[in-house]
Amino acid sequence: MTHQTHPYHMVNPSPWPLTGALSAFLLTSGLIMWFHFYLTLLLTAGLLASMATMFQWWRDVVRESTYQGHHTPPVQKGLRYGMILFIISEVFFFAGFFWAFYHSSLAPTPQTGGHWPPTGILPLDPMEVPLLNTAVLLASGVTITWTHHSLMEANQKESTQALAMTIALGIYFTLLQMSEYSETPFTISDGIYGSTFFMATGFHGLHVIIGTTFLTMCYIRQQLHHFTPNHHFGFEAAAWYWHFVDVVWLFLYISIYWWGS
Amino acid sequence: MLRNLLALRQIGQRTISTTSRMHFKNRVAEKQKLFQEDDGIPVYLKGGIVDVILYRATMILTVGGKAFGMFEGTAYAIYQLAVASFPKKQD
Repeated sequence: MTHQTHPYHMVNPSPWPLTGALSAFLLTSGLIMWFHFYLTLLLTAGLLASMATMFQWWRDVVRESTYQGHHTPPVQKGLRYGMILFIISEVFFFAGFFWAFYHSSLAPTPQTGGHWPPTGILPLDPMEVPLLNTAVLLASGVTITWTHHSLMEANQKESTQALAMTIALGIYFTLLQMSEYSETPFTISDGIYGSTFFMATGFHGLHVIIGTTFLTMCYIRQQLHHFTPNHHFGFEAAAWYWHFVDVVWLFLYISIYWWGS
Repeated sequence: MLRNLLALRQIGQRTISTTSRMHFKNRVAEKQKLFQEDDGIPVYLKGGIVDVILYRATMILTVGGKAFGMFEGTAYAIYQLAVASFPKKQD
């Protein structure tokens, strides 16, 4: 039986990069078929294929780490760098939407009536639900830190409770935003205000849903005893992502909801 | 009556403060044994028959979908060319 004499991870050949790329094709061409011809077959196939790819790929990562022990300290270091770089790329993604917002709101054109918010736009009151949303996400930042400390102290009961609370707060945020979306007197097609508002808050909401899903996966893995007090990088990655989502909201709240109203 | 109230409080505490709702046995060691089996099977199939079914379904969906999508796209492109070749007469 051959054993490696180095601490790195030589991954088994895997079909998921290929299926991931193919499902991206199906998603994009599927969107075209839906937008232009109202046909949804390709899009549905793309959504199913991308979800199947994600499920199996990440399932394999769990197998390689928890069950096969491939995540040695150097490997974990690489994963940490990877997650940090990914989050940085997401920061740039949001930077684009904030750029668009500030470009239009700092120098309002005659088209908007020469001021911001534009004529005819009734912005949401930042002291109402948006403030509650801010409190909800800040609280979830506290509960996730509590989760981490409980995990490191091998406190199964408290880490489970704290993680459950974090997930509940994430869901609560999403529900509040959904209700806000149905109550806004303006839509995405209401000029540049509508566009910047819904693109920025919409993508943020999507990221909250992704983060909540990631945390839920961590909850399940925690129940299955995958995490140890010293090794729980999956959870740490979820926590970093969650804090990122929280910070983006703070920028959104201050820029678009508060200053922009 | 107060004693009953105190007893009720104790029962409430006891039922809540045992294990959390979902308490699973620690089966990590069994999984470790399964996935460390020296049988040459790659990790994406090593879990058993469900892995194989899921893998095949994903491949059919993606490769088949790609083939169908390209066919549909090509067919539509040719259709558009045909329509464009015969301009509608304007009265």
